[in-house]
Amino acid sequence: MGVGPLGERSPGGATPIPIPFPTRGKGGASRSAKDLVMTDTPLLEVSDLATFFHARAGVVKAVDGVSFSLKRGEVMGLVGESGSGKSITGFSIIGLLDPPGRIERGSVKLEGRELVGLPADELRAIRGKAISMVFQDPMMTLNPMLTIGDQIGLALEAHESVSGAERRQRAIAALAQVRIPEPETKVDFYPHQFSGGMRQRVAIAIALLHRPRLIICDEPTTALDVSIQAEILTEMKELVAELGTALIWISHDLATVASIADHVCVMRYGKIVEAGPVLQVLTRPQHPYTQGLLDSLPSRAKPGAMLARGAGTDAAPPPRLPRQAESGHRRADLPYVVIETVGKRFQRKSGVLRLLAQKAGLVGPLPAVQAVDTVTLSIARGEALGLVGESGSGKSTLGRIVAGIYAPDSGHVLLDGEPVMSPGDRPHKITTRIQTIFQDPFASLNPRMRIGDSIAEGPLAHGLVSRAEAATYVAQWLAAVGLDPAFAGRYPHQFSGGQRQRVAIARALSMQPDVVVCDEPVASLDVSIQAQIINLLLRLRQELGLTLLFISHDLSVVRHLCDRVAIMHRGRIVESGPAGEVYDNPRDAYTKRLLAAVPVLPVA
Amino acid sequence: MLGHILGRLGQALVVMLVMSALVFIGVYAIGNPIDVLIGPDVSQDIRLDTIARYGLDQPLYVQYFTFLGRILQGDFGRSFVFGMPVLDLILSRLPATLELTLAAVCGAALIGIPAGIYAGYKPDGFAAKAIMTISILGFSVPTFWIGLVLIIAFAVELQWLPAGGRGATLPLFGVEWSFLTANGLSHLLLPACNLAFFKLALMTRLARAGTREAMLSDTVKFARAAGLSEWTVLRRHVLRLIAIPLVTVFGLEFASTLAFAVVTETIFSWPGIGKLIIDSITSLDRPVMVAYLMLVSFVFIMINFLVDLAYVGLDPRLRRAGSR
Amino acid sequence: MKQPVPAREISPVARFWAEFQESRVAVVALGVVVLMLGVAIFAPLVAPQNPYDLANLVLMDARRPPGFVGSAGYTHILGTDAQGRDLFSAILYGLRISLQMGLIAGSLAFTLGVTLGVGAAYLGGRWEAFIMRVVDLQLAFPAILLALVLSALLGQGKMQLIAALAAAQYAYFARTAHGAASAERGKDYVEAVLSTPLPAKRVVLKHIFPNCLPPLIVVATVQVASAIALEATLSFLGVGLPVTEPSLGMLISNGFQYMLSGRYWISIYPGIALIVLIVAINLVGDRIRDQVNPRLKR
Repeated sequence: MGVGPLGERSPGGATPIPIPFPTRGKGGASRSAKDLVMTDTPLLEVSDLATFFHARAGVVKAVDGVSFSLKRGEVMGLVGESGSGKSITGFSIIGLLDPPGRIERGSVKLEGRELVGLPADELRAIRGKAISMVFQDPMMTLNPMLTIGDQIGLALEAHESVSGAERRQRAIAALAQVRIPEPETKVDFYPHQFSGGMRQRVAIAIALLHRPRLIICDEPTTALDVSIQAEILTEMKELVAELGTALIWISHDLATVASIADHVCVMRYGKIVEAGPVLQVLTRPQHPYTQGLLDSLPSRAKPGAMLARGAGTDAAPPPRLPRQAESGHRRADLPYVVIETVGKRFQRKSGVLRLLAQKAGLVGPLPAVQAVDTVTLSIARGEALGLVGESGSGKSTLGRIVAGIYAPDSGHVLLDGEPVMSPGDRPHKITTRIQTIFQDPFASLNPRMRIGDSIAEGPLAHGLVSRAEAATYVAQWLAAVGLDPAFAGRYPHQFSGGQRQRVAIARALSMQPDVVVCDEPVASLDVSIQAQIINLLLRLRQELGLTLLFISHDLSVVRHLCDRVAIMHRGRIVESGPAGEVYDNPRDAYTKRLLAAVPVLPVA
Repeated sequence: MLGHILGRLGQALVVMLVMSALVFIGVYAIGNPIDVLIGPDVSQDIRLDTIARYGLDQPLYVQYFTFLGRILQGDFGRSFVFGMPVLDLILSRLPATLELTLAAVCGAALIGIPAGIYAGYKPDGFAAKAIMTISILGFSVPTFWIGLVLIIAFAVELQWLPAGGRGATLPLFGVEWSFLTANGLSHLLLPACNLAFFKLALMTRLARAGTREAMLSDTVKFARAAGLSEWTVLRRHVLRLIAIPLVTVFGLEFASTLAFAVVTETIFSWPGIGKLIIDSITSLDRPVMVAYLMLVSFVFIMINFLVDLAYVGLDPRLRRAGSR
Repeated sequence: MKQPVPAREISPVARFWAEFQESRVAVVALGVVVLMLGVAIFAPLVAPQNPYDLANLVLMDARRPPGFVGSAGYTHILGTDAQGRDLFSAILYGLRISLQMGLIAGSLAFTLGVTLGVGAAYLGGRWEAFIMRVVDLQLAFPAILLALVLSALLGQGKMQLIAALAAAQYAYFARTAHGAASAERGKDYVEAVLSTPLPAKRVVLKHIFPNCLPPLIVVATVQVASAIALEATLSFLGVGLPVTEPSLGMLISNGFQYMLSGRYWISIYPGIALIVLIVAINLVGDRIRDQVNPRLKR
């Protein structure tokens, strides 16, 4: 139950302003005429909004006293790390909270009309018409069973009655508006026939359908590749300017917000800690939290330097064990790590009957995906090579081949002249000298194992330590990654994401590897945690003399951590070289596009 | 698309072959059929003669191919007990079972799916909890027990409905059906309810689980954000999202209900194939057992095949190969 | 450094139990299951008479309604059956047999199914395809038909029926185990131990198998309940247990003929015991199902 101050409804709330439906192109003119009349009331006024979740464990104050206002046509960025309440603020405005969440107090006024406590059907009449929303993951928002045209039609009919032919025309026009090519054919497509970026465009088209006065975008480009993100950012900016729509852009990424918003609010623990014009907040932050956030960004620091926000730890890792001590670089004539003409295809196997049908020419073979296509690379001892690519570029597959998790279909990977995988019928990994750190710290630890056991398991199985020494060894590694050794008996679910990633690093390094494959190790972490992990990796790499293969989609993280960089695109390496050279003077067209797409923070 | 259907059809054929072999080995090779055919006191000559006449002296694979050849010609042998061709026997009993099964499954779907969707839509409401409690009961209580209770309540105590039999029937397309007469319907009601109870619980639970998941999905949230009414969200989005598992279960449950009819038919003396198979198991009427198993296998495999086709029709992601 | 970690160590099992307790219905149901298991195990101590010791039976006491004080001097709280047995005692002994059948058949099916399912997921390739094809094929056939045919072929007897029940049910475990193991197999933590590398046996036993357990526990509860129901149904149809093993299903079946003459208790009370048992097991399973469904986790 909302406890909004219903009695305080302003007189303007009783008569909502009629929205003209300007035809495309003339939108700007009619908007500005209306704006002349209405400039005194803000479009949206949020005051002291509080949304709590009453869970069994207690009350979570997701949003706790948030106030801001938004003018017509204004673009506001709402920035914060996970759990800051930025998304819940968006859902509270549009009135789409899932139980047990509810608005405890405060008010949300759209053109003077109070929305908190409005009956469900009146709120529904506003949703999609006056305020609409775009969600984070375009793969999940569209219904896979309905055509794009049907879904646009349903959204259209929610607020208007239209004939069948008109509905189709409007759907085609909506798709054209968000720059989807061949909208006449695409309108009959199903979501699965679209890429992620295209699906997000469809979601935006649906959100813009009734020319709303406000659009709330909840991390709309987070799930997309950087080049698609750049396109959507540009288009969105143009669209809201053209339609005069106000926009709340919710994001964890300061750079994307900087490139689209006029104003920005920085949220933390359900409260706005700092607000103001984008340029001012990002170049002259007043609040220590905002300052810390900005200092955590690798793009603002000198490559290889410790990031200011991530406090370092002092404990040194345990010394190299005698058994592994001799593993230097014995084959000086070969590069340390050799990746030679490695290829990998993923293909579904045909059944016996399908094979027969293929023989008879009735059906074609199942499509194969060439994930990695004859890649040749080498890494020098002690070097950090960054492998950069967008999703589907094959970078993770290549990483898993180097780590000895997948066997390559062709080519081979050598470490110091020795193969990583046994060649043969059922290839299996034969060396412990390469270890891996994975992206998702929630998935990379066995949830049913104490973290101490997870760390000790490998060293015990390979006789690096005896059972008697294991506890001390684990404690040394926990200290080395900045965790309290007393936590060895805890289970993964008791740790935060950053802490789990530390455990995963300890597990990989406790095997005393020479080479570590890092597969997007900081991609799923908040900026401030990311800075801590980057600092940890920088320090351990130096202290242990590790050779790194660092896989990432984030160009700034790679530049910060790596000496050399290789750009991967559709299974091939399109460019490689010293990091500074590639970033400053890219030669390949794809690399150039990729670098140009990265949003940049304004510098003071 | 064509490859998909061909592949499925091929699989169905292989499965039928495997089933025939299993049934043959199971029913014919375990135990000695000769002991059933003739009494223990007949002379050795007659015994050997009978063995030779039924081809039982041949190697197993020869017997199997003879068996397979006969089946392909529609010859399932003669029932030991009824002394008539098994195929005729089964075909004469089949309509009764089909009628009962269809009534039960359709009834279960018509009540269970809406109830389940409602319970999934408002999972914390009183009605939803009541629906779920009843469905747990339906899921747990053995069919034969419900049959007994139904008979006691409606046939013995209240005397509203008959306790057994098919009642009056009318022919349609040359087959006798109960549902065409009032008397027949009254006979059909109790056994159909009995058979439907378990299926009702199953479909309710399935529809509820699917609806609950769909209601929490981003798709539904996005539809609500676009201002769609709750009714439109349920009818156009949720129903489409949960259609595939529901169709699957409808198909598979139709098949399994055919088998479950064994229990209901026994309790309500419904003259269908379920009653026939129980009788033939107790009297060791092997040809009937074999024919029944082959027939039921065939029905199962056909239904599985149809469910697969329905998938292609329902899920646009599977249709892609054909449309591109 | 800030490390917001609770002071105690909470094992996944403890967390699971704490979550389970949030449903009062499920806790009561679990209590009922434990109670029924208890009285079944200690039936000879709890029951007022040994119903299968012929010396205890007095034909004069046959078919007496609940509350009748028999010639042995104690009250037959649930009445007596056609042979003059105390029905309450008969139910306790019947419960013992029914639970025994359900648990043994269930464990057998669990072991067989999980071995096949996890094995298939781990081996991959042709073996996986073959095993899972067989399992899928069997799943298309209802358990009751399979159990019916098998018990008809194998003949009557406890062992035969257990074999028939297990054969009819292992496929559900195999399917679930295969699904769960395939999902776990693709997770990062398994790839991490494969890249360590650890021996295959250890990966399967220490890492994959324990993480497949939650969905398997759900299937196990449902399958034990359905094994008990299946056994009762087969016994009712006369193709289940021999008359020397009077399970609940057999008691119901025996009382059936007296039902129409108004002596409902001979059949109804064993039926209620059976239903309470199955409903309780299913309620427990239902709770665990909701707990382990990741799509309902928010």
